[in-house]
Amino acid sequence: MSRRASGLRAWFLQRASAIYLLLFILYVLQHMVLDAPNDFAAWRGWVAQPLVGLGLLLFFASLLLHAWVGIRDVLIDYVHPTAIRVTILTLIGFALIGCALWVLQIIFLAS
Amino acid sequence: MKFSVYRYNPDTDDEPYMQGFEVELRQGMMLRDALLAIREQDESFTFRHSCGEGVCGSDGVNVNGSNKLACITPLTELKEPVVVRPFPGRPVVRDLVVDMSQFYTRYKQVDPWLIRKEPMPEREILQSPEERDKLDGLYECIMCGCCSTSCPSFWWNPDKFLGPQALLSACRFLADSRDQAGEERLDKLEGPYKLFRCHTIMNCVEACPKGLNPTKAIGHIKAIMLKDAI
Repeated sequence: MSRRASGLRAWFLQRASAIYLLLFILYVLQHMVLDAPNDFAAWRGWVAQPLVGLGLLLFFASLLLHAWVGIRDVLIDYVHPTAIRVTILTLIGFALIGCALWVLQIIFLAS
Repeated sequence: MKFSVYRYNPDTDDEPYMQGFEVELRQGMMLRDALLAIREQDESFTFRHSCGEGVCGSDGVNVNGSNKLACITPLTELKEPVVVRPFPGRPVVRDLVVDMSQFYTRYKQVDPWLIRKEPMPEREILQSPEERDKLDGLYECIMCGCCSTSCPSFWWNPDKFLGPQALLSACRFLADSRDQAGEERLDKLEGPYKLFRCHTIMNCVEACPKGLNPTKAIGHIKAIMLKDAI
């Protein structure tokens, strides 16, 4: 990836992920209003549907990506010493990857 | 009318302080007239000004928290006491006079002149009226610095983020049908800093005394980049 894309790519991904997050949240909200699962089995059944599972995976991928770009932006703005910035970015990177693995585990155990 | 004015003389003062003044209002008085009246009361009071009609862009100051050109700010629009400070985030030379060299360096970085690759023609390079219209809202900038010094992104990274003024100028040359260095201009804005520190806070739009819209210009540059990249 060229250096140019590191600005443009992050900016574009932030916006694209935001749109997906909004659409998926709207879908989940309407599902919760119209057809809310009322027990654990119903929840599992809902998540186990291939399309819902895929949608959820994309949702969390977008969420983590969106969080990564946003946190990176905040750090670039406010945290100037390189060592501190790299340390925080690394810790947050690991935390986000941990969240991603956790999400995968939950979704694949359900289906 | 009551004024509270920022005073600092690095030769004699340990710290900046605010000084109160009282100025008698006249019909049609602008803030610059009040600053001149204050200087009559205390001739050590220092501020920049020149044309007095919003053209030269010398007398940008921070008034009641917003950056404005003193010469075109009517006193009737301001709440008392009028608090006048130098531009935020800039090193103070004395009183309201700040060091704007970093701001000018950012401007130079966008090569603010026409670049032609073809040999220069014998006569003027013509533009259609539509091509000329694209420069409206971009060329009018007087470089007073009200926008860039009101931009939080410019406060945090004035050494790397170009700021609304320089980016408006970059857009002005990207939009010019006679310019032939569009690609190079876009390449120069690469990376997370120069352009992409803009978070659409839009203080620049509110501050611009000429009613220009740097945020829109920055959005326009991003759109060109995106079109270019995919």
